[in-house]
Amino acid sequence: MKPINKLLLLVSAVLALTLSVPAAAGDSDSSIKPVIPKALSGTKCVDDPEVMVRTHMDKLKHQRDLTLREGIRTKQFSLKECINCHVPAGQEAAVQPGEETAASGKSSEGHFCMNCHAFAGVKIDCFECHNTRPEKPAMFHPIVTPGMEATKDVHQPDSATMLNELAGSNEKTGAAQ
Amino acid sequence: MSENNHAGVTRRDFLELGLKSAAAGVVLAPGVMLYSAAEARPADEPASSKVRWGMLIDTSKCASGCDACVTACEKENGWGGPNSNEKHSNALQKSQWIRKVELRNVDTGATSSLPMMCQHCANPPCVDVCPTGASMKRADGIVLVDRHICIGCRYCMMACPYKARSFVHEELENQSVNAPRGKGCVEACTFCVHKLDRGDGTTACAEACNADGHKAILVGDLKDPNSEIAQTVAKYATTQIRAELGLNTGMRYQGI
Repeated sequence: MKPINKLLLLVSAVLALTLSVPAAAGDSDSSIKPVIPKALSGTKCVDDPEVMVRTHMDKLKHQRDLTLREGIRTKQFSLKECINCHVPAGQEAAVQPGEETAASGKSSEGHFCMNCHAFAGVKIDCFECHNTRPEKPAMFHPIVTPGMEATKDVHQPDSATMLNELAGSNEKTGAAQ
Repeated sequence: MSENNHAGVTRRDFLELGLKSAAAGVVLAPGVMLYSAAEARPADEPASSKVRWGMLIDTSKCASGCDACVTACEKENGWGGPNSNEKHSNALQKSQWIRKVELRNVDTGATSSLPMMCQHCANPPCVDVCPTGASMKRADGIVLVDRHICIGCRYCMMACPYKARSFVHEELENQSVNAPRGKGCVEACTFCVHKLDRGDGTTACAEACNADGHKAILVGDLKDPNSEIAQTVAKYATTQIRAELGLNTGMRYQGI
């Protein structure tokens, strides 16, 4: 029993040391969290963030087989749609200058998926083939189905409102057509 | 800003409405039918075996030296071209989804020009030999590589009588969003499956050929008796390349 107790002590000591190092290196707890760039404003995720964190891989894997092998191209859990909102073109560099990001899998800095995956040490396979950028600079389609919208009581502006807001912020001349 | 939304109906909604109301075809004008009508299907519906996508290439219309179909495919699917993202591969290693081939009959001297790509066989040898099931044929006859499970053994490349498949030798960036592709996987013509699935009813190569005025490539549903391709195939003699192999290709050629 004695040697085992000793070993346990040693293990806990080592663990405590290793865990305390990154915490000590930063100023506060927030410094050891991955930088998660904000999604395209005005969009809402297909599920709660807590759920997505745990299940996005299952959803994507299920969807990929349906899409490739059967040709089912619903947008709800499509990787393309994830990227359209989470990595809007021009917004991938939204991380503050000088702020270190963990992303370095590709040339991008501050990639929504890669920041977290690099932080968690999970090798991401999607982007060995899939593009890390969306096709178009901004997408104005709802990716939340009406059913989901009904269950969630969150305000979401429609595309016309968003367009007007955008136009208004870009040029102070007034509303868009 | 968007004229499409004036009536609260988008262009796509309008098209889908129109397509649903007419299953077989839409008369655009007396004698002019829109045959692609039966081809659009909802996004949540799987590809159906009631459809067989095919292409008819009229070599008498295919211009020698023209490679509009090849450059259109490169642009659509993000391979090849002067700005190829395969920086380290040599010319023999680089991907080639579609190539132009010039034929010459040694006896008569007759020449013809044609595009050569995956023939989307009904009995594809690449699918037979694939050890992982990555090489697969969709219900509507489109032969694809499931890169999610492709291990890059290249057995399918050896099995293909048309030399239609390529292997990606290096890490890629800036792929086309239409066609994810990457190192260690085999790839080939996808029949522009992303375009067909969204109801375009045609491929990038056919669009380019039409835009150039050659109209050598006809895309359609071989199983739909009302489609232009099915009617043309029924009327005129067409050739399957290496028909003796019994692969029943989806690509048919005319004039060779």
